[in-house]
Formats: sequence, structure tokens, C-alpha cells
Amino acid sequence: MRMRKARALPRAKVVPEAPPVWRPAVGPDLVPALLVFAATGLLVVGMMLASPSFGSFDQLTAILVTAIFLVVASFGQGLVILLGGIDLSLGVVIGIGGMMVAGLTRGSNDALMSAIPLTLLSCAGIGLINGIGVGLAKLPPFITTLSSGITFFGVALGITAGSSQQPVAPALQTFMNSGWLGLPYPILFTVAFVAAAWLFQNRSAEGRKLYAIGSSPGAARVLGLPVAALTIAAYAISGLCAGLTGILLAGYAASATLDMGSALLMPSIAAVVIGGARVTGGSGPYLGTFAGALFLSTLSTVITALSFSQGLRDIVQGGIILIALLLQSGRLNLRHHRWRWAHHQQGGGLT
Amino acid sequence: MTAASQLAQVRSVAAGGSAAAFVLLCIMTGIYAVHEPSALSAFGISNLLNNTVVLALAASGLTLVVLCGELDLSGPGVMAIGNVVVATTSTGSLGATGNLAAVLAIGAAVGGLNGFLVAYLGLQSLAVSLGSLIVCQGVALLILPAPGGEVTDTIVQAVSGDIRAIPAPALIMAVTAGLWLLLKHSRLGVALYAVGADEPSARLSGLNTRTTKLSAFVMSGIVYAIAGFVLSAEIGSGDPRVSDSFLLFMYAAVAIGGTSLGGGRGGVLGTLVGACILSVLQKMLFALGVADFYTNIFNGVIMILAIFFGQLSAWLARARHRGQG
Amino acid sequence: MKIDCGSRLSTGLIPAALVAAFVIGGIAEVSARDRYKVFLNMSYSGNTWQAAAANGIKALAATPPYDKTVEFKTVISGTDVQHQISDLQSMIASGANAIILYPLSPTALNRVIKQGCDKGVVIFTYDSTVTEPCAHNVSNITARYGANTAQWMVNQMGGKGELIFNHGVAGTTVTKTYDEQAYGVFKKYPGIKIVGDFYGNWNDATSQEEVAKILAAHPNVDGIWTVDGTYGSLQAVLNNRPGRLVVIAGQSNNGYRLMLADPAMQAKGLKGISSSAGPAVGGYAFKLMMEVVTGKKKLTRSNIEYPLPWVEAADVKVCQGDSFVGGCNSFPAGKVAPLFIDTALNGELLPELGLAAVQEGKATPGARIEPLPDVHYADNLPGINCSNCEPTKDWLKPNRVAPIAVP
Repeated sequence: MRMRKARALPRAKVVPEAPPVWRPAVGPDLVPALLVFAATGLLVVGMMLASPSFGSFDQLTAILVTAIFLVVASFGQGLVILLGGIDLSLGVVIGIGGMMVAGLTRGSNDALMSAIPLTLLSCAGIGLINGIGVGLAKLPPFITTLSSGITFFGVALGITAGSSQQPVAPALQTFMNSGWLGLPYPILFTVAFVAAAWLFQNRSAEGRKLYAIGSSPGAARVLGLPVAALTIAAYAISGLCAGLTGILLAGYAASATLDMGSALLMPSIAAVVIGGARVTGGSGPYLGTFAGALFLSTLSTVITALSFSQGLRDIVQGGIILIALLLQSGRLNLRHHRWRWAHHQQGGGLT
Repeated sequence: MTAASQLAQVRSVAAGGSAAAFVLLCIMTGIYAVHEPSALSAFGISNLLNNTVVLALAASGLTLVVLCGELDLSGPGVMAIGNVVVATTSTGSLGATGNLAAVLAIGAAVGGLNGFLVAYLGLQSLAVSLGSLIVCQGVALLILPAPGGEVTDTIVQAVSGDIRAIPAPALIMAVTAGLWLLLKHSRLGVALYAVGADEPSARLSGLNTRTTKLSAFVMSGIVYAIAGFVLSAEIGSGDPRVSDSFLLFMYAAVAIGGTSLGGGRGGVLGTLVGACILSVLQKMLFALGVADFYTNIFNGVIMILAIFFGQLSAWLARARHRGQG
Repeated sequence: MKIDCGSRLSTGLIPAALVAAFVIGGIAEVSARDRYKVFLNMSYSGNTWQAAAANGIKALAATPPYDKTVEFKTVISGTDVQHQISDLQSMIASGANAIILYPLSPTALNRVIKQGCDKGVVIFTYDSTVTEPCAHNVSNITARYGANTAQWMVNQMGGKGELIFNHGVAGTTVTKTYDEQAYGVFKKYPGIKIVGDFYGNWNDATSQEEVAKILAAHPNVDGIWTVDGTYGSLQAVLNNRPGRLVVIAGQSNNGYRLMLADPAMQAKGLKGISSSAGPAVGGYAFKLMMEVVTGKKKLTRSNIEYPLPWVEAADVKVCQGDSFVGGCNSFPAGKVAPLFIDTALNGELLPELGLAAVQEGKATPGARIEPLPDVHYADNLPGINCSNCEPTKDWLKPNRVAPIAVP
């Protein structure tokens, strides 16, 4: 008689899951993201009931197309926030990315193949500098990214006087403004991007390590995680995403100016926050950030459709951020006790 | 570690950062004065102080929140509301003190809201203050949709003129420094540092971290409101968007002055020096002939260097103290 | 012998002082005629309009005879009004003879401007205005852009139809003024319905996004009113509804002007007016300021109106060379980026400027500064270019387009 070998009990992995932290991207962590998706849906349905001209397929498509910029930018921002940092140079790097691709392609498609990687590399380079400042020199992320943003704005202003003199490559314009089988290319791009981002943030080892570092840098270091290297990498990716956003924006608008990214900075932070990430780091699945970006884009369309004055628009947008935070606070209080142990190590706050 | 020795350690560490900032300020003022003879004249100093006082006040308010370990983006919003309220009502029946009182009440209310959400509901301060900043900017736009309004001469003179030959802004900054020293040595001041340095320990040692944080936010709201009031006097009118650009300079002043953005280290004196550094920096760069787009580059690089310098000296001070046991 | 020190001193000192004053004053006057210290003070930067305006001014300062007589420096203050005040004080203290600036606020700078005027500095603003009477404002904010373009659109639309309203940046006097004028005109025609409005913030990418979304909800829009962001607004229509274009009012981007004049576009219903503030106002203000400083012109009032650009489809004329000569007012498609603002150049008032001048700030070879014609003084707009003054009675009404009857 053959004895069936007893199955070994699944052994819990020691590394890289950080010790006191609940594995993210599983069940409960997705709830804020789902809530935000639901809120977006409610918003659309509510507007459709209130105003018959709202909510056509064309308009929803238009919303999705214009949401791409925030989706891409907030992924980079989200990674950095995951580590407990912040990237305030995002707006400037978007502008630089757009200006570079316009200046390098000069209205023709010839240089496009080299212009895009060059632009992405340069913007990632700016992110790299940020990362070195935060990861190696241990400077506070807030001031470091703020100062690097100002500095690079000055450099770009000196080189270009502020606006690109060249038109953008036609291929880029076509990509952003047309589609395939009725679906605009940007939406297809968004789907691919979201899938890649989610895979990286919530399904890869690197992503898990980032969560670990964010929730407890001390423990992560003890476990031998390459904290400095991963920090630098996260900021570099943020720069890369900003550069990508700039390229997409330049293609969409067929032009580039240095200040074209400044309007995306605060919304990128808001998207991450609304999606349920803690600004102190360590939690928040990518789907939450994506939901936040989608929600903000829809919200701004709804506010425009309601014809509010700018003052009212600001009040509504700020109020929504506060309400989203309040709604999540109920859940956060439950986990507050679990988190306190983890945060105990670093004293909380952005250092 | 007893509370006293903890406080002593904190104080010596704190001094490290702001002393470095003061040295930097002296060097920069020297460079500026060498190139521009009128720099140290009464007129020149008075102008410099008028241009610094609003930032100094706003950054001081921010320092209080940063000391207890939180961040606050809502300063410019409170300043904007303060400015438009004064500009729209100063020629009315309230009078200067009435205006000031109204503005202080608004600042306390916004600070109170932020503080409540952060301290009692445990929400993230960066996110909460981002939300309240946007709401405040919206309110300011509703009250005054475009630049306009008027600030009475009484207020303008009182805040930006001379009081017995001393420029009023100098007095305002001196009073701020004085009030800060009182706060620093009070129980609330010690609590602020303790909560910022290590919140769980502070709680365990019996401090009420919630009321500490709430107080920090309310005080900062009041100080932002004063900054908005002073801004109204400096620019003589209302402008709903005039404070938009303050945010980054507020943080720069705080960080350059030696206060750690993680909490528990630094103080308002350093921030006042930091604000002066930023003003003199602008003058110095102009005097050196660097005023075109290079200003941005220099601003960014000098900010980083100043913070690096400040962190280094604070680290040295800490290491020295640790050596002393 | 009693020596009367007082009288000895006074008889000695007074003549000495007079001689000294004469000498110093004389030296100062001689050097003032030979060389002028002129500053350009920018606040906003990083966008096409500001870059073109600044480049135009720099190019003029490098054009003979100013290249020898003007010591020219640029100062960028950023968007913080107290920084601008501080920089202006620095400029005045360093002995400026003239300052041309883009003010961040109509009133916040009044005190420092007065300080400058008291020291004899000639101060001019371009496009954005201040209420301090000793400064000279050069702008077309008094040219009633809002009312004129709104009336033009109404006339083209026959007094009825659906409209999208593209606001500029909220919280600025120019947005408030133009919005009031435009709404005032549109409200007179009950057939005109504003189905969507948004804050384009003078930005083409933002305008394109918002128009795309509104168009998707209101597929029968007939017109779009803008101050800037016009090209982006039109792009959205071209991408979403290429078969049926709109009546549109707005900026003078080269791509936009070329589209207006294109018969294929006109066949699909494109009717547009190319207007709005042009960067050339900076160059014009600089030339005017230098004429005042050198004594060639005397101005009796503070506010000067820069002529409002006004180019309709039939007026578009493509240039063969690099500058606006012979009445041409746009460039061929490949020569400049579509967002290049054509009104950075002005063939009549600024013949010294060519493409290289506004794109790089370089003087046009062989050019020489030409004298300006007589100025056209501007209306009073309280809170915008004057403080204790009455507004012109009909400042809300169009003054270059005759209204059609209400259908």
C-alpha cells in the first residue's frame, strides 16, 4: 500500500512581508477603492437624472480620455506617498517632459523614436536626483522635491524662455486624438497602464517591499531591504510618470508650455488620498489611486456641467476631499490600533 | 529620561539648527550690504521688514503645527480670507479692531476644524489641510471675485508705518518672538515638542496629545489670520489670489530656520530668521546681478543647501550631546 | 578781532554748494542723456505670451540707437506680490531711470511705484494695469474686448444658438471685466443660450479637455467665446465634430488664423474673429516709455490704449518673409508653431520686430527704432487703471461692432 505523502503545511514566508503589517491589496484594503468607484458611479447617475444632456457615451468617453493625465501622474505620486514621501516637482517635470518632446520632434515624426526615450530618461533623471536627496542625504521629501521643482523650472526657463517654439510630432497628436475600432487610443493606453501599474504596485516583490518600507522603515532595514535603492527607484519612477504625462499632454494639445503641468500637482495628491492611501505611507492599493483619479476627473466635469463659479468649484472640490477623508476615518480608526505599533517606530509624520 | 533632561536635549538640538541659520543670515546680509549701499539705511531696513513680516508671521504659524509632527497646507487659504474680509469691510462699521477680531475668529475656526479632524478623528494632516486650503480659496473668491476693495489708512499706517521711529513690522516680529518664548517655556510648549518628537511616548507619559495638537492648529490658524491682516495693510487692497504663492516660501522659511519637518525640533525664532533669509536672499541675488531666470535656480539650490547645513549642524549638536551623556 | 564763523561759513559754503550742485546735477543730466538704466520686471513666466512679450522688449532694447544708450536688465520676480515689491525697491535703489513691468496686482504696488516716481523714475506697465496715477498703463483692457467679440458672435449667429463660454483665470480684473461685458451682450438676446461654461485659465490643453466634454453632452453647440485657449477649444471641435464647426472668438494664434482663412474650414461653418491681448503691447509700451524718458513725447494722462487686434477671416494675409510688412499678419503653417501668437508682432507700430526678435529676443539686423504716432488715451475703469475716477458710461457696450436687432 502506498502511503500518500503528507502534504507539508504551507510555511509562512519570513521576507519580504514586513512583520506587523497586514498584507495589502487583499480584501479590506480594496474597500476604499471600491467605495470611490461607487461614488463615481453615483455621481454620473445623479447627474444623468438631474440633467438629461449629461452622461452620453460620448461624454463618458471624453471624461475617460482626459482622465489619462491624472491617472498616469498619480501613479508616480502614489508610489512616492507609499514610502511616506511626496513629490512636489511633479508639475514642473510634466512641463519639462512636454517641452522636451516638442523641442526634439519639431513637428515631424522622424525623431519620435529617439525623442520619447530621451524625454522619459531625462525626467526619470530628475526623479533620480530627488530620490538621492531623500534616500541618501535623508533630506525631507517636501522641501527636496519643492526645491528641485523650482530649480529645474529655472533651468528650463533659461533654456526656452517658457514656451516651446516647435509643434509636436503628428504621430503623437494622432495617437491622442483618434482611436481604434471606436475606442480612443488613450483609453486603451489607460487600460494597459493601469494593468501594468497594478501589477507593479500590488503584485510584484518590489511593490511589496515598498509597502514594507512605507509602513515601517526601521523594520524594513533590519530585514535587509535595500531601503535607499528602493526610495531612489520610487522617485525615479515618479519622474518617469510625470515625463510620460507631459508627452501625452503635449500630444493631446499639439503644443507644450512650461507651466502646463502645474494644474495636475494638487489633484495627483488628492487622487492618492481619496483612494485610501495614508499619506504617512505603507498602505493603499493602486486601484485606490486609480479610483481617486477617475473620481476627480468625473467630479470636475460634473462641476463644470453645473456651471458653478470658480469659488463654488473650489469649495466643492475641497469639501469632497474632506468628506472622503471623513468616510475613510471610520475604517481607519479600526486599524489605528494595529498601525500604532508600526508607526511607533518612526514617530509618524513626514521626516 | 526625565522630562527636564528631555527638554534640555531638545533645546540644545533645536538651537543647533537656528544658530546655523542666523550665521547664514549675517553672511548674506553682509554680501547684500557690500553691493548695495542703501541696504543698511533706515529706509532700506524698513522696506525689508515690510516685505518680510507677512511671510515671517505665516511661517511662524506653520512652525507651531510642524513642531508637533503634523503638516499644514491651509495657511494661504486663511490669509486669503483674512485679506478679502478686511478689504471688503474695513471701510464699514467694524473699525480696525473689529476687523482684526473678525479675522482672528475666522483663523481660529479654520484652525479648529483642521485640528479637530487631525487630532480627534485621526485624519492625515496633509490631506485635511489640502482640503481646507481649497475650500478657503473658494470662500475668498466668493467674497471678492476680483482684486478690489479698500483697506483704511488707519490699518495701513498702523501696520506698515513707524511707531515712535521704529518700523511697525519690527515691533510685530519682536512681539511674535516674545510670545513664542513665553509659549516655549509653558507647559503647552513643552508638550508640543514632546508630541512632535515621539507621540506614543508623550501619550504614555501622560500628555494629552489630542488637545496639544488641537491647540497647535488653532494657534496657527490665528497667526495665519494675523498674517492675512498684515498683508492687507501691506498691499492696501484685497486680492483673492494674492496668497497663492506663499505656501512654498512658508515651508522654506520653516525648514531653513532649522525646524525639522518631522516634528520635535526647531522653533519660531529659527523660522523668523528663515523668513529674513529668504527676503535678504532675494535682495542679495539682485545686488549680485542675478535676477533673471537664474533666481529660481539659486533659490532652489540655496534652499537645499541651507536645509542640508541645518540638518548637519543639528545632527552634530545631537551627537555632541549624546557624547556628553 | 571777532571772527564771525557763521557768516564766514555761510559766505563760503553757499557758493561752494551751488557750484557742487551745478556740477553734480550737470554730470547727472549729461549721463542721463547718454545712457539710461532701464529694467524689465516680469512676474509671470513660463508661457508663450509672456515669453513673446519679454523677447520683443529685449529685442527693441538691443536695436539702435537703444543698444548704445540703454543699459537694459531683466528681473523676474515670480508670482509673489511682495517679491515684486522688493525687486522694484531694489531697482529704484540701484538708480533706475525707467522701469517697465507686468504688475501682479492693480493696487498692491502703488506705494512702491509712488516711491519710484518721487525719485524721478519713469514707470510703465504693459497689459496688466495699476491704479497709481504716476505710472503709465499701456493696455487694451479698455478696448472692450468682451463686448465687441460677444456682439460680433451674436451678429454671426443671427441672434440665436447655443454657446460655450470659456472663462479666463478666475480672480483677475481682466476676467471680471470681459466676462461682465460678454454676458451683458449675450443676455440681450433671449435666443442665445449658454449651455456650458468653464475656466480655461487661458490654457489650450485645459480648454481642449473641457470643450470636448461639454461638446459630448451638447452636440449642437453653435459658438464658443474665449479670451485665450482658443486654439485648444477649436481643436476639441475638430476632433469631435469635424463636419460642423463653430462661430468662435478668441486669441490670435497662428494656427487659428490660418484655419479661419482656410476655405475648407469655412465651408464647414468656421467663422472666427482673431483678437485678444497681444504680446506686442510690451514692445509698444517700451518704445513709448523710452520716448517719454528721452523727452521726445509728453503724455498728459496716465492711461494709454493699445489698439485691439481685430482680424476677421477676410483680413488674414500670410507673410512671405519674417516680419509683418505690407499688411500681412500671419505666417505659413510650417514656419512657426500653431500656438505662436501672431499679435506678438505689429507691422505699423513695431516695424523693428521680426520673428527672430520675438522668438529669441534678438534685434533685427539693420533695423532702427522708428518714432511712434500719437497715442490714444484710454477710458477710465475704476479699480483697474485709476482709483478716484468715474467709469466711462457705456463701458459695457461694444464700440466697434454694431448690434443687430433682437430676433
